[in-house]
Amino acid sequence: MDIDDILREVDPASQSIPAETRDLQALTRAWVAERSSPELLRWPADGLFERVNDRIKQQIERVEEMTGDMDPKTNFALIVIQTELERFKYLVRSYLRARIAKIDQHTLHYLSSPDMRARLSETEQAYATRHQALLHNHYLSSFLSAFPPALQNLNDSAGNISMIDTPDTDTAVFIRLLKDSLVEGRGTDGDGIMDGKNGDIIILRWSDAKPLVDSGRAEVI
Amino acid sequence: MSYYDIDAILTDAEKVPCKFELDVPELGYLDNNPAQPLKSGTTIGLPLWLAELLALANRVPSTADEDAKSFVSLNLPPALSNEVMSALKADPRAVPLRDQSHNFYGLGTRMLDLFEEKEICAVLRRTFVTRAADIALHAGKAGATDDMGVGAGEEFLRGLEEWERKLFKKAHDGAKGTKEWMEGVKKH
Amino acid sequence: MHGDLGNKLVQQAKRTQNLAHLPPYQTELVRAVTREVRDLDKDVAALLEPFQGSFHPTDDQAVACTLLVNHLSMRRNKRCLLAYHHTRTDKLEKLVWKGYDVVDLAGQQVGDGSVNAGGASNVANGDGSMNNLSPQEEDYVRQYSDLLAAYKGQWTDIDLTGSLEPPRDLFIDVRVLKDAGEIQTEYGQFYVRQGDVERLIAQGYLQKLS
Repeated sequence: MDIDDILREVDPASQSIPAETRDLQALTRAWVAERSSPELLRWPADGLFERVNDRIKQQIERVEEMTGDMDPKTNFALIVIQTELERFKYLVRSYLRARIAKIDQHTLHYLSSPDMRARLSETEQAYATRHQALLHNHYLSSFLSAFPPALQNLNDSAGNISMIDTPDTDTAVFIRLLKDSLVEGRGTDGDGIMDGKNGDIIILRWSDAKPLVDSGRAEVI
Repeated sequence: MSYYDIDAILTDAEKVPCKFELDVPELGYLDNNPAQPLKSGTTIGLPLWLAELLALANRVPSTADEDAKSFVSLNLPPALSNEVMSALKADPRAVPLRDQSHNFYGLGTRMLDLFEEKEICAVLRRTFVTRAADIALHAGKAGATDDMGVGAGEEFLRGLEEWERKLFKKAHDGAKGTKEWMEGVKKH
Repeated sequence: MHGDLGNKLVQQAKRTQNLAHLPPYQTELVRAVTREVRDLDKDVAALLEPFQGSFHPTDDQAVACTLLVNHLSMRRNKRCLLAYHHTRTDKLEKLVWKGYDVVDLAGQQVGDGSVNAGGASNVANGDGSMNNLSPQEEDYVRQYSDLLAAYKGQWTDIDLTGSLEPPRDLFIDVRVLKDAGEIQTEYGQFYVRQGDVERLIAQGYLQKLS
């Protein structure tokens, strides 16, 4: 059984599932989607990461309590808990690192408008703002302060190229349809339209996949 | 195109022939002759970062009946000449593209943004597709045997321009990753 | 011509991308390209002077053309300088994420038997001293390390700079490569939890046995 089976098994909207299980699923989905999409996705606003962080803290405390106990049964449970804990920590770490990598690559782009900024968590916004300031200062003290004032900016778009790099939204992604949907894709020579069925796996440009993903009709895999 | 992208910046330094449409006293240095004015009609190879905007900038007509013209008119660089196109049409694999330009396709796409040249466009696309298959084959072999740029691989890489080298590296790493993953599956 | 020196910087950056270590900072080249920008700016001012602040392209086509060439050359140099510095900060940031004490290594000499005898210093530079970095880069590394520490501090239980390989084994066997002082783990000396010793493996004290 792999991640896909686990994800498919349970409808995320169902309320009969324990909150912890739903959170683990949400975390796993967020992790898969973030790693596969070329653009930074929205930080979950429902407090998912606060809850996950609390759970990790609780489990670490539990491990510490159980470590003194030499009973073989406790010991086995301890190994299971610790293994699960490492996997949880890995998911969160890998998710956060995938985001930081994207933020670092296109910092000014993600800070450029309120709409973009809203995709970042508060901590990420603070990090990105400070990182950009450090870089600008570094350029200034290395050479930029000797430039004519009009040339000292880092966000010009004069000439034929903007200084603010943006992610390539034409990067190919794999998606899985969650509902029957019409899929429209643009190609180099011609565009294509297909009647997608629930469960279909499709490769297409992120710019064409995004509306499907945003509306919940597909997920990035 | 990305502002900080090193390959894009190097592509921007590729030279294209520019014919000046006016006398410019201060620009003699572009023709290695700083003491003399640059004469109208002189053709110089200028880097893309300079040539493109000089060609696109509309200078204001000096008299009412003169058409609006730019400072320079561009021509196609030698890398996209008829001779090279003929050689590519004959056999895309036989031409060491790197000798034409380190950024052959980068230069090509930039020029095709400026020139309506359906034939060149078609030749470049066919060349890329034909050679890509070859590159995938070589890279897959090198990746599966952990042979990166040694022996035959090195000789092959020499003729590849930058896009192709990147493609080679991706295909190589992909094949290597697959091999490692397969071995991991067997072990566990 | 203008821009040739800038191009040299970008070629340096291209080389740097493919190197494991960070080559010496090109102080002279950076200075020369910066000087070129200032000279071009002076040329622009001199060209515009006769027009007393009201130059219109129709006044003199040749001057308009020269002005455009000068502006484009300045912008080109700016792009080359930024890309060169950015390639280097990128590399420095990666070293900081990996936990190398990039600046601290600066003060140490080759072969004094401490940390920089191992892999770390070889990654940061070739010869064991840190003069490959400009003073501004040293400052940058210090400030970025602080920033990263602050960000990591929000996620104390995760160890944000830990391994990005999915965890497979809770415990691993390690070989001790060099003296690291006393290390306390919950399970004794040779049977250690991977998460506890990742940092030491990355820094070259321990080797993971498969």
